[in-house]
Amino acid sequence: MSNDVLALLILGFPAAGALLLAGRGWRMPRLVTQIVGPGVVWAAFIVTLVLFFGGANGDFTYWTWIKSGSFSLPVNLLVDNLSLFMCLVITGVGGLIVTYSVGYMAHEDGPSYSRFFTYMDVFIFSMLLLVLAGNFVFLIIGWAMVGLSSYFLIGFWYHRRSAVLAARKAFVMNVIGDVGMILAAFVLFWQFHDLTYARVFSSVGKSDSGILELAAFLLLVGAVAKSAQIPLHTWLPDAMEGPTPVSALIHAATMVTAGVYLVARMHPIYDVATYAHDTVAIIGAVTALFAATIAIVQTDIKRVLAYSTMSQIGYMFLAVGIGAYSAGLFHLLSHAFFKALLFMAAGNVIHAMNDEQDMRKYGGLWGQMRPTSITFLIGCLSLVGVIPFVGFFSKEQILGLAFSRPGNLGLAVWAIGFVTALITGFYTGRMWWLSFWGKPSPDRPVAHPHEAPPVMLVPVAILAVLAVAGGFIQTRALGIGPSLVSGYLDRVTGGTGWEDTGVAVVLGLVTMLLAAGLFAGALRMRPWSARFPWAQRILEHKYYFDEAYDAAFVRPMDLAAGRGYRDVEELVIGGSLDRTGARTSWFAGYASLLQTGYFRNYALVFVAGAVIVAVLLVARFAT
Amino acid sequence: MAIAVFFVAAAMAIVGGVGVITFRQPMSSVLSLVVVMIALSILFLLLSAQFVFVVQIIVYAGAVMVLFLFVITLLGPARETGRGRLRFQAGLSALFVLVLFGLIYAMLQGITFRQPEKADLNVFGTVQSIAVGLFTTYLYPFELTSILLLVAAIGAVYLSRREP
Amino acid sequence: MLDIGGSQLDTSWFLLLGAILFALGTAGVLVRRNPLIILISIELMLNAVNLTLIAFSRQLENLEGQLFALMTMTVAAAEAVVGLAILVDIFRVRDLEDVDDLSEYKG
Repeated sequence: MSNDVLALLILGFPAAGALLLAGRGWRMPRLVTQIVGPGVVWAAFIVTLVLFFGGANGDFTYWTWIKSGSFSLPVNLLVDNLSLFMCLVITGVGGLIVTYSVGYMAHEDGPSYSRFFTYMDVFIFSMLLLVLAGNFVFLIIGWAMVGLSSYFLIGFWYHRRSAVLAARKAFVMNVIGDVGMILAAFVLFWQFHDLTYARVFSSVGKSDSGILELAAFLLLVGAVAKSAQIPLHTWLPDAMEGPTPVSALIHAATMVTAGVYLVARMHPIYDVATYAHDTVAIIGAVTALFAATIAIVQTDIKRVLAYSTMSQIGYMFLAVGIGAYSAGLFHLLSHAFFKALLFMAAGNVIHAMNDEQDMRKYGGLWGQMRPTSITFLIGCLSLVGVIPFVGFFSKEQILGLAFSRPGNLGLAVWAIGFVTALITGFYTGRMWWLSFWGKPSPDRPVAHPHEAPPVMLVPVAILAVLAVAGGFIQTRALGIGPSLVSGYLDRVTGGTGWEDTGVAVVLGLVTMLLAAGLFAGALRMRPWSARFPWAQRILEHKYYFDEAYDAAFVRPMDLAAGRGYRDVEELVIGGSLDRTGARTSWFAGYASLLQTGYFRNYALVFVAGAVIVAVLLVARFAT
Repeated sequence: MAIAVFFVAAAMAIVGGVGVITFRQPMSSVLSLVVVMIALSILFLLLSAQFVFVVQIIVYAGAVMVLFLFVITLLGPARETGRGRLRFQAGLSALFVLVLFGLIYAMLQGITFRQPEKADLNVFGTVQSIAVGLFTTYLYPFELTSILLLVAAIGAVYLSRREP
Repeated sequence: MLDIGGSQLDTSWFLLLGAILFALGTAGVLVRRNPLIILISIELMLNAVNLTLIAFSRQLENLEGQLFALMTMTVAAAEAVVGLAILVDIFRVRDLEDVDDLSEYKG
């Protein structure tokens, strides 16, 4: 089968799965949903593998959608190393997570169960569309659909008010990003009169860099919203209201990484728009540090992981922001492995503890849920960046490249990243020791938690293996060994242009040791919160971002809407309608007086009318 | 001589017309109308409409008015009592009627006719010429009118039958 | 000017007479309350129109006016017949002196 058909199949399988489950899923036996839901994702994965190993590369146009004057918009898919890489992550890790959720969501009733998998398949489809799109319009379509799927999935348990509010918050912030994307598309259209990647990227060199800066900043708005970076980050912690597989898939492995993909894909623009490019790195670094500090005080295990995600994506932004695209994408891959692993293992724990998510009520799980604990530990060590786990290779590569980069920006973001890595060690350690070590907490809801069923353990185990072994495909952090990832991706994004210094390698190892030390030492570091209560408060309120946004945006909008309703809707619009009716009624009251019922009155009116018309006619035509 | 005839007939017509609308008794009104019709038929004759003159007397004054008389005798002498319920009717009617008349009067000033078609005045209005017109050029209206009469007759019969 | 029987008559006199009769008839329809008299007034109006038609016919020496007058007469007869039949019908049910008593289409 030819590559363009295969590319279409990657999209086709999840779409077909979603349609089937949406239309018929709740009427079919549960087994069908359990097979179709993950099955279509795995089918897409296999197709992706075929294309990957076949070295597929091409811009496939299927149909011309818009033809208006000199502008034409094709329906095309761009299959190159970058998009295939993303597809592998989405379908591979996605497949594992969807399979996992077969077990996790088993408590749902029939229609709800298939509704979940419908939404998951819709999401997978949208994400694949986003990365495979060959022009800006379909990018934005996929972008918006991903946001929509996120809304559906966060608010999946829609009877819960908190879930609905969280879904709405996520959607609103995503829409802000969508607007940025659309404006960017406008700017690019205005400049290049075309919206396909091929033509836009090839014409970048011949255009005004100011316009490109504008476009790059607008695209950045979209990326920041989707990837939950400052300042559009407040939705991500709330998004943990969704089921754990949702958090794993959307808010760790795929959707939030769309921003990183975007910057990488748009690298021709960002290579020229240096201000925007630097901003990407700065936002990433600041967010990484910021999120890591908040993670220190979280008590909900999923919230720790959420802020950790925000922080790690900050690293990815940092990487692509300084021009180390393949390094950022490698961290995307490695983060997908260990963060999904962490979320799903946490899901096992939550499942076993009757949906309790407060870590202070855990304790001592190492003895009682050994397999889950082991996988969780692997995830933690990977997150901290300890050899030989994949997290070390990807994170330290980023830091090393930042350090070696000529110029001040690299050094600045390296410093922030370094401190963040240490804090990462600390909060990860805290999470680990609180939940899995020591004596079981007296507030434990379940005294003897049972281990997860195989359908939930196996995907976690697979990811654990990947987290262990994955690093060895790209060991550039050590300065030696294979660089399969950058070799693959640099063909699309271009290489970094500078070499690692030996100092960077050494610094990487030092960072690892310090972070690991904090991880271990977190066991004994409790009293600090008592010594700095003000710091504790700021962190617990997440630097008061939510309060600030509420005061600055939400409250005024509410007032304006209330005002608008009272003054405009009721008074003007409602009033005008009411009064029109009343006036017509009043008039009709008088008009009905004409209906006297007397024949002679009518005859009089008859004659009067004829006379008047005659007078008018004579006046008009008489000479 | 013709002028004298005209004025006499005109006076008759106007007196009769006033009588039509002013008599209290319907019988007197009908008889006034008969006077008007005879006056008008004289005027028709003056205007070279011999056939119409005869038809007016036979059909209109002779048949239609007789019909009216029959109905009046059937229904009995009714008198209009009191002033009636519509207060402004008389005033407004007078107004509009006067306006109407004034309008027509004004229009008649400076009226100019187009060139008359050259017809032979000896045969103008004779039975033959009317017949020729009715049965050739205006056959269609003639037939329709006869159907109209048929329908009216049926209608009248239907409307006045006794309820079983 | 018409040449009738040796003298000159002005057509507009006939038309004026027709106008007077028409106005009288209209006044009768509007003012009188006895339904019979109203019908009679309508007949008066129709006669006035006939006069006008014949006058024009003579002036323009076109026979159409007379033919039209004949048609009008026929239609007037038919209308009088049906109108009277309806009146008789109403009279069977109630004693009608005043047309205003028939005002059931009020409002």
